[in-house]
Amino acid sequence: MKVLQALGAWVEAVFYAAGRYPHLLIEILRRIKRPPWFPQLILEQAEHVGVQSLPVVLLTALFTGMVLALQSYIGFHRFGAENMVATVVSLSMLRELGPVLVGLMVAGRVGASFAAELGTMRVSEQIDALWTLSTDPLRYLVMPRFISAIIMLPLLVALADAIGIFGGYVISVFMLGQNPHSYLENSTLYVELRDMYSGLFKAGCFGAIIGLVGCAEGFYCQGGAQGVGQATTRAVVFSAMSILVSDYLLTAWLFQ
Amino acid sequence: MTTPKIQVQGLKKSFGDKKVLDGVDLDVLPGESVVVIGLSGTGKSVLIKCILGLLKPDAGHILVDGEDWSTLANDEQLLRMRRIGMLFQGAALFDSMSVWKNVAFALLQQGMGNKEARTRAGEVLELVGLHNVEDKMPAELSGGMAKRVGLARAICHKPEIIFYDEPLTGLDPVMADVITRLMQRLHSEFNVTSLTIAHSMMLARTFGNRIAMLYQGRNLKQMSPDELDSCQDPIIRQFVEGRSEGPIHLQGNRT
Repeated sequence: MKVLQALGAWVEAVFYAAGRYPHLLIEILRRIKRPPWFPQLILEQAEHVGVQSLPVVLLTALFTGMVLALQSYIGFHRFGAENMVATVVSLSMLRELGPVLVGLMVAGRVGASFAAELGTMRVSEQIDALWTLSTDPLRYLVMPRFISAIIMLPLLVALADAIGIFGGYVISVFMLGQNPHSYLENSTLYVELRDMYSGLFKAGCFGAIIGLVGCAEGFYCQGGAQGVGQATTRAVVFSAMSILVSDYLLTAWLFQ
Repeated sequence: MTTPKIQVQGLKKSFGDKKVLDGVDLDVLPGESVVVIGLSGTGKSVLIKCILGLLKPDAGHILVDGEDWSTLANDEQLLRMRRIGMLFQGAALFDSMSVWKNVAFALLQQGMGNKEARTRAGEVLELVGLHNVEDKMPAELSGGMAKRVGLARAICHKPEIIFYDEPLTGLDPVMADVITRLMQRLHSEFNVTSLTIAHSMMLARTFGNRIAMLYQGRNLKQMSPDELDSCQDPIIRQFVEGRSEGPIHLQGNRT
């Protein structure tokens, strides 16, 4: 009986969350056509989402590119195809690892801070106070965060791609003794422009997920400090999971 | 007869199975100060939030100056908020902004220039008895100061109606008196209409022209402070005298 109850509560929680995200998305889309858009706030959030995430994101990308070169070298070395390392590094960074790893890092960093900040504002009635000062809280708080996440994620991923490929180059050329010229050539030879576009498009989608989930968890937060804590956890867990699931779906349907 | 400034008619609101408001009627006349008293958890805050449009009522109407606010679209309602000021229980200052930006928030959003808004914020802060706090952050303020800044923010855009949610909660007796006097002064000087929710009888007696008691989702009666003292209704008597024994059914207790 207890098990059934727990299962029921879990299902209810999932559907409750599943209803909240589309609801907030509809509310955002309904408002986005007409001003005010608060460009100043979008810029502030863009700095928070983008610029301040740079160290974390670039470090992740650098080491991912490096380990990727190392691992694929070990594999390809077994049947003498070492010159494929460059292609594997650039293809997997552009198509997959760049967007997904940056998405996950930003979900942890930014999604959590969205949820915690908006959640605290909700439980301390600051969101209600905005309303009584004739300012729409959704426009003022949620929209700038959502928009800046969508804009900044592809930019972060573009930089991460470059750094990751550079990391792979450094390892291959200076540690594994590959020819720098042919490495660079192999990096681009089998790579199409649409490989990069697909990665950047994915990044935009992940930005939307992070912004939407983080804001929804914070905006509809209830129940004091504990509620804010739970909202923050849920924001990170749900956005990370949604990124991984939607990554599969986007790859399978759009970019095979 | 003058049209009431605020008219609440048959307001109902439930959360799940719990009926919080079950048909509340309330009139507030222009220039009048009405204090709503009641036990904690009887829906006093819910009442104010419904009037402000922060919660959607399940049934009933909210008329301000004869206009039904409960059916307005979001944008329309936001525009009407310019006529309203609200002091929140915990002051609810925006902690990412300095004090003067908090106070002048509504003006800045309406497009007033920084310099002018800052001057205006300074004047209003002066009015609530605060000097040289413009550039402080809300986290640096004491509870009483935060409340006064909250009050300054509520009146900075010259509203016609001010709502007070438990204005004296969490203040020491001296600061409570300071805030009460401020509220009285604002009320008489600016000719605003006030609706206050409180559980302090002292505030109700000194600030209310009329007092309404909310009990089990309904309001019992609206009366003047003098009538309150002579009222023989056992529930009101118990509340006014602050006794734990009596007909009031406390939540969680079996009586």
